Amino acid sequence: MSRVAFLLLIEDDEAVRTALEMSLTRQGHRVVTAPTGEDGLQSLREQRPDLIVLDVMLPGIDGFEVCRRIRRTDQLPIILLTARSDDIDVVVGLESGADDYVVKPVQGRVLDARIRAVMRRGERESNDAVTFGSLVIDRSAMTVTRDGVDLQLTPTELRLLLELSRRPGQALSRQQLLRLVWEHDYLGDSRLVDACVQRLRAKVEDVPSSPKLIRTVRGVGYRLDAP
Amino acid sequence: MKGARRGEADDAPRPRGRLRRWAHTLLSLTSLRLRLVTVFALVALVAAVSVSGIAYWLNRDAVLTRAQESALSDFSQSLGDRAGALPDQPTCDALRLMADRVANRTFHYEVVLEDARLPEGDCRAESDPAVFTREMVPDSLRDAVRDRREGQPEDDQYHLYWQRISLDGDPYLVGGAQVIGGGPAGYLLASLAPERDDLNSLAVSLGVATALAVIGSVLLAQGAATMVLRPVQRLSNAARRLGEGKLDTRLAVRGADELAELTRTFNNAAASLEAQVQDLSDRETSSRRFVADMSHELRTPMTAITAMTELLEDEVETLDPRVAPAVQLVVSETRRLNDLVENLMEVTRFDAGTAKMVLDDVNIADQVTACIDARAWLDAVHLDADRSITARLDPRRLDVVLANLIGNALKHGGSPVRVTVREHEDDEGGRLVSVEVADQGPGIPEDVLPHVFDRFYKASASRPRSDGSGLGLSIAMENAHLHGGDITVHNDPVGGAVFTLRLPHDPGLPEDRADDPDSGQETPPGGGASVPPGRPATPAPRRGERSDKGSGKETYDGSAEEDRR
Repeated sequence: MSRVAFLLLIEDDEAVRTALEMSLTRQGHRVVTAPTGEDGLQSLREQRPDLIVLDVMLPGIDGFEVCRRIRRTDQLPIILLTARSDDIDVVVGLESGADDYVVKPVQGRVLDARIRAVMRRGERESNDAVTFGSLVIDRSAMTVTRDGVDLQLTPTELRLLLELSRRPGQALSRQQLLRLVWEHDYLGDSRLVDACVQRLRAKVEDVPSSPKLIRTVRGVGYRLDAP
Repeated sequence: MKGARRGEADDAPRPRGRLRRWAHTLLSLTSLRLRLVTVFALVALVAAVSVSGIAYWLNRDAVLTRAQESALSDFSQSLGDRAGALPDQPTCDALRLMADRVANRTFHYEVVLEDARLPEGDCRAESDPAVFTREMVPDSLRDAVRDRREGQPEDDQYHLYWQRISLDGDPYLVGGAQVIGGGPAGYLLASLAPERDDLNSLAVSLGVATALAVIGSVLLAQGAATMVLRPVQRLSNAARRLGEGKLDTRLAVRGADELAELTRTFNNAAASLEAQVQDLSDRETSSRRFVADMSHELRTPMTAITAMTELLEDEVETLDPRVAPAVQLVVSETRRLNDLVENLMEVTRFDAGTAKMVLDDVNIADQVTACIDARAWLDAVHLDADRSITARLDPRRLDVVLANLIGNALKHGGSPVRVTVREHEDDEGGRLVSVEVADQGPGIPEDVLPHVFDRFYKASASRPRSDGSGLGLSIAMENAHLHGGDITVHNDPVGGAVFTLRLPHDPGLPEDRADDPDSGQETPPGGGASVPPGRPATPAPRRGERSDKGSGKETYDGSAEEDRR
């Protein structure tokens, strides 16, 4: 890793908080913790972490709400920690803006792998810029502008857009995208892709309900088209 | 000997028994309506036929008697009158004249007079030789007439004898009498055709009446059957609905007859059944919820313990050798407990019926390869698969099934495990995909075979359950059922247990997720309608996409645990 990631862990259960803090610290991350959503939002403002690991079941405002509030101002990566693998929770979590999720009881190594994968998404790479209609993707500056206005994208959204823009006009399956963007294994959750595409469309499309840029390819996945 | 004798004894009543059985079968096969109609018709037929028969015979008797008596009394009267007028020694001509006179046009009879004692010898006087000759009189009648005269003391009475005969198919009355005092014997022949015609038309009328009675009774029986059977039909429909699980089925009680009573009984039974089922399902629901809540509650502490044991595991080499085995035990048991909690969660989802499928077109061979690769089993598994076999299924669930079957085979049978993927047709012509997992172990005892898919089933000591949760095969089976498939197990004659997973090529279920239409993906965040009901969708790993497996391997191993939900 290029540098030590600075994590904010929001978890109400003291044992879990302590255990995960120890585990993540041991994996080489710098960790601050918060026991409630409110405390977590305050720590976010004061300490500016690189990434948030967020428990869903929190006293007071729950993880989904925390996630939504963070997304209003910040685009930093969020990994949800859910004790419920019930589908509805996962979907609600992804829709509230989370980049990835892990289900309890989580292994430290898995969480670490996810964190590193998320962090890698923000790394810059090539140095050219491409234009899709009114959308300009500057790969060197890692910025995206639409009609000259800077778009606030999370690293995951940005990486998804970059992967799609690298193969314009070519359909990428959800599974491919999961591997490219999320670095998930062969049984990754494709709803991560769907939720992220949805959020991305909301930011880059003129009319998100009838997308012109990020098109759905029936039976395959998604494709970036120049309008 | 004994057996043979018994066999013979059995032979005798068999035909009758068979007949009875056949009749019984016929009766039980036909509907109640048919039985009712048949009985009604039979009763009507018997009644009508006996009434008609009696009426016919009485009538016949009366008509014939009257006709006979008129003709005979007229004949006897006329014969007496004319005989008195005869001279003592009449001529044959006089007799002929007399016969002509006696023959009556009103009662339509012809007459023959016979006198053997005339001077000119045997004389036969016939009123109309074309119709009636002496030869037509039956011998028995003549004998009776003659014998009477000889055997009886003479008196005033003419002894009349009669007999009915049939000439050319027409009925006739032949009567005869001896004139007392050595007179001639007279015979008459009267046609009974008019009476026969009357009786025939009466028989036809009675037949028609009988037929009408039978038809009427059949119609009546139909009506009665409909009346009786309509409530029965209603009850039958209601019972079927009840059997289909619609326990709130009730019937309106009409009237106060036996059927109304039956309806009331049915309603009571249904109500009590509904209450009991409700009670049972309430209890089951609460116990399931308890298991679900419990396994759910276990997850938070398990997270803390898991994270901690990982730290301990990393430190195990630096620990005091006296403590290290304890730590290792804690680590391995924690992992097992984790698996158990995961499996419990999965089982509660099956029990609650909330397990969902996310279908995708999956290349089976690729999926098997990915499954064994992700678990580092590549060296222990020999895969024999046609690489072109694809099926529509939930890849995540197939992975669970494969991992459980192969893992089980490795655990109990030892390597190498043979995995064979085949495609064939089932009985209805649908395409099936079968995955056969055969191990090299001692096989499964016959008495254990039926139970291997039971939850927490403890096999005998010969096949100890080592570190499994005891739920793996049960979960595999549930997943197969969810696809409309099945898992069977048998022992290979050569040795080793063989588990065979059979899945339909296409379970024919509607896809849970709105797979592609943009509208399906564009519902506003947080909106309930946008929640896809399915489990995580995972498109099949396609060939040609697998080149980066090596680099992702570390992630595979780690996240495989997390993904095995």
